[in-house]
Amino acid sequence: MKTFRHLLHACALMALIAPAFAVRVGEPAPGFTAVDSNGRQQRLSDYKSKYVVLEWHNQGCPYTKKHYESGNMQRLQKEWTAKGVVWLTVISSAPGTQGFVTPSQENDYLKTMNAAPTAVLMDPGGSLGHLYGAKTTPHMFIIDPGGMLIYNGAIDDHPTSDQGDIAGSKNYVSTALQEATSGKPVTEPATRPYGCSVKYKD
Amino acid sequence: MGWKPLQCGLQCACFVLAAWTAGLVVAQAAPHTRVELISRQTALRPGSDLQLGIHFILEPGWHIYWINPGDSGQPPSLKWQLPPGFAAGEIQWPRPERMQATPELADYGYHDETLLMVPIHAPPLINNEQLRGLRFAVEAKWLVCREVCIPEHANLELFLHSGAVRENPATAKLFAGAAKLLPIAMPHGWKAEVESRKDNFLLTIAANRQLTKAIFFPLDPGQIDNPAPQTLQPTPSGAKITLKKSDLLLKPISVLRGVLAIPGGPAYRIEAPVRHPIQ
Repeated sequence: MKTFRHLLHACALMALIAPAFAVRVGEPAPGFTAVDSNGRQQRLSDYKSKYVVLEWHNQGCPYTKKHYESGNMQRLQKEWTAKGVVWLTVISSAPGTQGFVTPSQENDYLKTMNAAPTAVLMDPGGSLGHLYGAKTTPHMFIIDPGGMLIYNGAIDDHPTSDQGDIAGSKNYVSTALQEATSGKPVTEPATRPYGCSVKYKD
Repeated sequence: MGWKPLQCGLQCACFVLAAWTAGLVVAQAAPHTRVELISRQTALRPGSDLQLGIHFILEPGWHIYWINPGDSGQPPSLKWQLPPGFAAGEIQWPRPERMQATPELADYGYHDETLLMVPIHAPPLINNEQLRGLRFAVEAKWLVCREVCIPEHANLELFLHSGAVRENPATAKLFAGAAKLLPIAMPHGWKAEVESRKDNFLLTIAANRQLTKAIFFPLDPGQIDNPAPQTLQPTPSGAKITLKKSDLLLKPISVLRGVLAIPGGPAYRIEAPVRHPIQ
């Protein structure tokens, strides 16, 4: 029995450190448990009947700044959480790297930036990032109420760090949510995410 | 190593004037990059094309990106201001390096120093007034990264007058070096073909000899999984390379474009038709 438990733990560990777990649209999104910036446990299964957005975040990255200093990300967060979508910001920066913050630093940032995610998941060990194959900040994922991944990719179609490009951009997240919530298939479910690389632990 | 931004006052202005007359350029410094606009020729002749180049010198450890940056990053972009009738061609990208820090992602780009050459097409006639001095200007924007990424930009300019077209001795070595790094067409008789399988592409190179080492750099994002290892199987007359498909690839493609780089050897432009065998 002990050997089996060891084997189970070893397998679980392997799943976490195995390179590039493929998270494909049209397949079930991997379940997870994470701690948020208020010390509360958050599970994907807590939100079984809702649309969930995962937003990978690094406050120092020029591409993240593009969407926060312009107010674009906050607008999206407010618009969609008001419609019942769960918005989870995820920080997978390792300690000592750009984007790493303590929970209270993150809560200060949320206040200063007037951000409105449902919660911010603190992932300094990178396990949630590796589980989803998060490559950049920002990198956006959308999970439907059935637990299916329906979007994986960029926030919009202008892969630059210029705020000036936001106005003329097609926002893939809004478009996907609009389509999905009105019962239509998502027309562009997988796009190349752009931004700075996620600063994982070595 | 100090990389102080260029301080410009009267001294600088005088230097710029002197440099212009001599046909030289002034390098600009951004925090991690020195960048200059240079010309292969010393002068221009109406109707003949020029070759200009953006020369990047990066602080050690920092890199910029290829036209397909890979999983993160952004390639340099150029916005030209040219005299009437002149037109800029596309950037001629040198063969890139592959950079992989994590299992999740791999990027493509350049360290240390690179010259991005751009052909400039000249009109057949240039009026006499202009012949005394033509201004070529470019706004260059680029992302330079090491552990963090910083968007940088510079406004560069170069003045050329008309005259006998000669190679610029100050830049000849740079242009010759960059030309050697450009991917070339596959030799006559070589063939590149791709077979699409469920999770990967099989790129078969029919060459005139066995290939034991080669790296494929995809031109179009979203087709190949960048961080996945490429397995190369040498064959008597070439090689077969397995390229994992990207999770972003939802529809079949009819051609796979990219660069096949032989370490220590040439880099070849690949434009391979993709076969989808009927299951």
